[in-house]
Amino acid sequence: MRATHTQTMKLRMVVAGILLVIPLVVFLDIPSYNRETPELAGLPFFYWWQILWLALSAGLFVVAAILIDWNGQREA
Amino acid sequence: MWDSVSWVVFLTLFAVFSALGFLGVLWRRGDMRTLQEWALAGRRLGTWLMFFLVGADLYTAYTFIAVPSSMFATGDIFFYAVPYVAITFSIALLAMPRIWRISREKGYITASDLIRDRFNSRSLAILVAIVGIVAELPYIALQIVGMQAVLVAMLQGVSDYTTVSEVALIVAFLILAAFTWTSGLRGATLTAVLKDALIFVTVIAVIVAVATAGDVGRAFTLEPKYVTLPPTLENAYWSLFVMSALALYLYPHAINGIQGATDVKTLRRSTALLPLYGVGLAGLALFGVFIYAVPNALKYVHSFPATSQGTQVVPGLILFTLPDWFAGIAFLGIFIGGLVPATIMAMSQANLLTRNIIKEARPLTPHGETQLAKWASVVFKFLALGFVFAVPSTYAIQLQLFGGILILQILPSLFFGLFRYRLDKYSLMVGLLAGVASGLYLMEYANKFSIWKTTLYTTPFGLLYIGVTALSINVAIVLVGSLVAWAVTRRTPAPGSEPVAG
Repeated sequence: MRATHTQTMKLRMVVAGILLVIPLVVFLDIPSYNRETPELAGLPFFYWWQILWLALSAGLFVVAAILIDWNGQREA
Repeated sequence: MWDSVSWVVFLTLFAVFSALGFLGVLWRRGDMRTLQEWALAGRRLGTWLMFFLVGADLYTAYTFIAVPSSMFATGDIFFYAVPYVAITFSIALLAMPRIWRISREKGYITASDLIRDRFNSRSLAILVAIVGIVAELPYIALQIVGMQAVLVAMLQGVSDYTTVSEVALIVAFLILAAFTWTSGLRGATLTAVLKDALIFVTVIAVIVAVATAGDVGRAFTLEPKYVTLPPTLENAYWSLFVMSALALYLYPHAINGIQGATDVKTLRRSTALLPLYGVGLAGLALFGVFIYAVPNALKYVHSFPATSQGTQVVPGLILFTLPDWFAGIAFLGIFIGGLVPATIMAMSQANLLTRNIIKEARPLTPHGETQLAKWASVVFKFLALGFVFAVPSTYAIQLQLFGGILILQILPSLFFGLFRYRLDKYSLMVGLLAGVASGLYLMEYANKFSIWKTTLYTTPFGLLYIGVTALSINVAIVLVGSLVAWAVTRRTPAPGSEPVAG
């Protein structure tokens, strides 16, 4: 019982870690989004792609925060 | 346009804002004569207030004035601000709850408190405090530039440009000093809510107005250089956003700000939501491009000297796309958007000075400490004024980037201080000093020892942000020095020395 608890805790932290790193990886690959097309409402790809990922980052971070907090509650 | 209706709206809202600032003193009343209450709001803020307060640290004149200005004057490399606000919060989510927990347990308020204990070194803590205080100065200067830009837009036509900009600067400065003195963090938090509400409304309204007034796509046809980032600047782009992301939470005001959270969960939730602020920031950054599609606003901006015209991009768009009463709301939003963050920054400087520098020399009573902190925050604002003159206001973003170069140098001491293995304190000090010195030198070198317009310089990898190089030098010294120190002490363990593991 205790072993599985520690295991899920570890798994949660790893998943949370991955969620936190995804936006960094996406934004660091500049050549992948440094282009004009496809445009969205007149905005070149370069702009709307990054704005889209801003919103997605918030989503990923909230999930990561919830995963970490579950763990914190069990611990306490 | 700006007319008497705009004035009435602006002044009425400013009265509401001031009232909130003063009411902050009464809100969840505490003894304002203690530093804990004046500067940390008694550590009792929940998720939403934390969201607004820390959001206030981010959504500053940097966002409203400096980013659009540099997009307009230089180019789309300054869109780096968008990935910057996206990833800075992943770093914050990893490091800040830890700092919060240790601080609550041991009663720390500043990074220097933590570092002093962790490395058992007063000198290192004082060095870190000094770097923190100095790094805030250009950032405060940027806020003053933002407030000045709004006042200039309001007063244009009253007199010639030079007089107007000088009067604007003095008024901005006096209001800032008076506001910090009276309200403390409680006032700043309450007013941050008002500020953010006004700003959100403004950003949405201008986006809608610009989209209807001028075809957004046309701006990119008129100015094709904005369509994509020149490939030669890709390295500069990541170096700017990665380093800015690392720097944000090292600033004393950010560390100060998170201490107000009521618990770790609150801190994490509010931090995770913060990238949402960035969507507004992205809109504002794009105003630097959109303005090319709004001829009236463009003509207005070009009526100012090149050294300051960039700061008029957002005010100009507001004046020429929104009704007069709305301009009053928007201008107040931008004005207090500089005022509130500058207040928070000045308070964190004062904290550092009293707790980590003066108290090391002579003991202070709690009330004496607060009194001194208040006076110090006024003096620091005068020093910040010096930076206002160091950078042409169109390039005001360089103030924030310069502060970034400095504050990055405390990264090894603070972040590595959270880990289990202790680094050598002397190496940390040498690394920090070398980082600051190399950063300053490269800054002067990149600007040909003249007025500051850039924080990028040419390397074998193309243009790079100076912060990368300065931090690399710092970290290299810390790691090599610590390894050497570790090897030496292992061979000859001093009697009674403590083990490496912390």
